Amino acid sequence: MTTVKPILLAEDNPRDAELAMAAMEEHHIADKVVVCRDGAEVLDYLYCRGIFSSRQQGNPAVVFLDLKMPKVDGLEVLKTIKSDVNLKPIPVVMLTSSREECDLSKSYALGANAYVVKPVEFHQFITAVKELGVFWGVINEPPPEGSDQRGHVPASV
Amino acid sequence: MEWFTHWSIERRVLVGFGLVFAGIVIISAISYRNTAVLIENSRLDTKSHELVQLLGSVEDALGVAESSHRRYLVTGDESYLTSYRAVVERIPEYLRYLRGLTNETGQQQDRVTTLEQLITRQLEAEARAIAQRIKRGYEGVRHLALSGAGKNEIDEIRRLMTELDTVEQRALQARVAQSAESTQSTIALLGLGAFLQLLLLASVYVLIHHDVTERRRVATELRSRGELLQAANKELEAFSYSVSHDLRAPLRHIDGYAALLSKAAGDTLNDKAHRYLETISGSAKQMGQLIDDLLVFSRMGRQDMLHTTVSLDQLIKTVLHDLRLDLQGRAISWTMHPLPNVSGDPAMLRQVFVNLISNALKFTATRPESKIEIGVATQGPADVEVFVRDNGVGFDMQYVDKLFGVFQRLHRNDEFEGTGIGLANVRRIIHRHGGRTWAEGGVDQGATFYFSLPLARSLS
Repeated sequence: MTTVKPILLAEDNPRDAELAMAAMEEHHIADKVVVCRDGAEVLDYLYCRGIFSSRQQGNPAVVFLDLKMPKVDGLEVLKTIKSDVNLKPIPVVMLTSSREECDLSKSYALGANAYVVKPVEFHQFITAVKELGVFWGVINEPPPEGSDQRGHVPASV
Repeated sequence: MEWFTHWSIERRVLVGFGLVFAGIVIISAISYRNTAVLIENSRLDTKSHELVQLLGSVEDALGVAESSHRRYLVTGDESYLTSYRAVVERIPEYLRYLRGLTNETGQQQDRVTTLEQLITRQLEAEARAIAQRIKRGYEGVRHLALSGAGKNEIDEIRRLMTELDTVEQRALQARVAQSAESTQSTIALLGLGAFLQLLLLASVYVLIHHDVTERRRVATELRSRGELLQAANKELEAFSYSVSHDLRAPLRHIDGYAALLSKAAGDTLNDKAHRYLETISGSAKQMGQLIDDLLVFSRMGRQDMLHTTVSLDQLIKTVLHDLRLDLQGRAISWTMHPLPNVSGDPAMLRQVFVNLISNALKFTATRPESKIEIGVATQGPADVEVFVRDNGVGFDMQYVDKLFGVFQRLHRNDEFEGTGIGLANVRRIIHRHGGRTWAEGGVDQGATFYFSLPLARSLS
């Protein structure tokens, strides 16, 4: 592994984002985390446009997606990622408060790699985020980066 | 009329139909009787006409007999005798007919009898005169020749025949009048009957129309209510989704920041401040638990149910395995009686036993040894009543109705922790299985919870 791939955290709630960052810090992986505040920002990041137009090319190691986000919600982002041949290999973990069956089944149907319900208790939350960050960001071996042919944006976005 | 307004619609309709039906039956009966009278009259009329005609024939025959016997007496011409005999031969047959035609009226029959006797006497007189003429010649019958034999009988016969004729004509006229009247009343009655039948048909139409309209209205209303219910259900789902997602976030933040604060400033805080922070996270956790329980409760009501055969023995084994952490360090004496297979949703029924056994464990925690017994109270042909008994703190029977209510607790939170949803969930699940729940207990005398479930169909 030559370059350290970033972890993309899509979280509209700044407090949740801060708590998640606090958890990542405990395991010293916080510097790898890029926080997006809504679904549109996530897509901007993935397609290197808008505020991310000058970022270093390459897919993140993992995307943590909240379900409920302004502008473009988590399921729409998931759908876009999984229907784009270049983004498809990125592992997507749904990180949400919802335990509703319909959210679970929709997420898996769209190709989510994991679904994690945010625990109310801080210690459990911190453990969960830490373990997820470590597993997907460090332990999990991502798919090899193919020929870089991104650039076209799907019509649905 | 006041009694009428007190009647129900059904009763009014029934009475109305009954009256109209009775009317139609009566009209039909009267019409039938009238028609029968008409037919009978027409038969009698034919008879009367024949009688009148026959009387004419009899009169003619007697006239011919009388005149030809007289001519024979005077002239002695054999041809008169021949025509006399020819006529006389027919008379008995006429009389027999006459008797037949009058066999239904006693007075006319009596007249015919008298007439018969008279005619016989007349004919006998004539026959005697003829015999005299043959034996003694003209001289022997001279005194009879001009007037003929049996003059008195002939007059009497004529009178009787006129009487017969008059009586018959009168009867005929009476019958004609009766027939006319009966025809008229029949026509009137048939008209009334037709009217009543129309009325009946019209009311049937009105009732059916009313019924159909009512049904359509009810169906429309049901549909619109169904739509409303569906909308309400959707709203409820959206609500619980929102609760699930949005209400938990601030709780997470409260607990999270309390933990961060405790970590960041832990060294500078005194014990009191630490306790405050612990209380903050404790409350947040408790509310999180409450929300989770409430969501489970709401889901239990909406979620689709499976109907499979569930082995309760097996189910309890897995529940006890899941609860093994709660059982550590506890002195518990279990009494497990064999349980039957029931029909239901395994996940839901598992929840029932988790809640009941957790309750039993919770409320016996103050006992040196917890005693928990699970078994069958009664078993019917189609369902089974299961009980879970403990030797815990029990409850006052006067609050038994509150036990299964949502958020109803019989203990303070500092005595026994809980959200007051467990038993409400048990009741909801059992109700969805078509069973019922109840409980018995006493303060400090333990508690027994009962529930009934439908048995599995194949008892293998």
